[in-house]
Amino acid sequence: MVKRFDCLKLLASWLDEHALTVTSRGGNAREWAYLRPQGANFHSLNMGTCMSFAVGLALAFPKRKVIAIDSDGSLLLDTSSLVTLADVNPPNLLALVFDNQAYANMGATATARAADLAKMAQGAGVKKASTITSTEDFAAVVKPALAASELGFFVLKSESGRAQVKVDSRLIHGRPMLEHFISALLRHPDYQGKSSAGKD
Amino acid sequence: MEPETIAKIIDTLKAERIDLVVTLPEEPTSPLTETIRSDPYFTSVTVASESNGISLCAGASLGGRRCIFVTGIAGLLVGTWSLAQMGVLYGIPVLIMASYRGDIGDRSGVSGAQLFMFQQLAEPMLNTLRIPYRVIKKNDDIEREIRDSHFACREYGTPLVLLLTGEVLW
Repeated sequence: MVKRFDCLKLLASWLDEHALTVTSRGGNAREWAYLRPQGANFHSLNMGTCMSFAVGLALAFPKRKVIAIDSDGSLLLDTSSLVTLADVNPPNLLALVFDNQAYANMGATATARAADLAKMAQGAGVKKASTITSTEDFAAVVKPALAASELGFFVLKSESGRAQVKVDSRLIHGRPMLEHFISALLRHPDYQGKSSAGKD
Repeated sequence: MEPETIAKIIDTLKAERIDLVVTLPEEPTSPLTETIRSDPYFTSVTVASESNGISLCAGASLGGRRCIFVTGIAGLLVGTWSLAQMGVLYGIPVLIMASYRGDIGDRSGVSGAQLFMFQQLAEPMLNTLRIPYRVIKKNDDIEREIRDSHFACREYGTPLVLLLTGEVLW
């Protein structure tokens, strides 16, 4: 088992300012916002929407690395996103799924039970998909995957519980988070979404 | 859907520089999506559920990629969760083109009870989700409606739906 906070801390140290990240709700968003307060981070996507949103972002920024930080419960709500992920196969996307095997916000209610999320991704057609169970393996596998031009999908078997970090909730929710994200996008020279300013 | 209708839609998408088309095919719009799929101008993505198609378009659109999601009323119903998240919560512009299944004039062979269900739910559902929409019945209106709607959805900051019916669809 890995500690999510330890893995995210490593990940934050590996990313440059241009990497785009997307998280699902809960501990993923809170811990990631604490560890990477700057940069283009879209936090707290609700259940079932994180992975596909990240695929879209990867299509918009083909020259940037996009990292999806999803969770088992969120992914399981829309497993069809695995088929889309494999079909689009964005080479600039790294998908991380923290799998604590529970709907953690509600306690110990189990999520996937006997299901193997990495094998589900493989079955959907994702070529590079595997399960990671230690922080050492996380460093050995994910750091090189960040540098590769190939879709990577990694399920991180993680301990339950959250790191006790203080984060301004406006950084991880709703419109204030969105404004922060767009401000970061506007600093990217390859951002195509400048306002049309009423012209076209 | 007639070839000249398809050509008009595709020409307008190109004029708007919309080059990412996401779809989950359904019968009335399948000639359009098949034509798009064979056109190298477009990046065409076929999703396995409408909800992840809408989420994908939201990510792409927020990243500045000009895109459109092509679906039907059933697809919008399936995609309500994502529409609520991307629309009501975040106000992300997502242009959607949907066949107006169940509209008066739909003789496509779907059972009457299904048609009536679509007819009863389509517009109230969009109104409930606070999603602006236009109903396009005439081929002569296609270009103007796509251009205006694409502009409006980005300026408003919201998903916006073009419902195709009448001579455009049947």
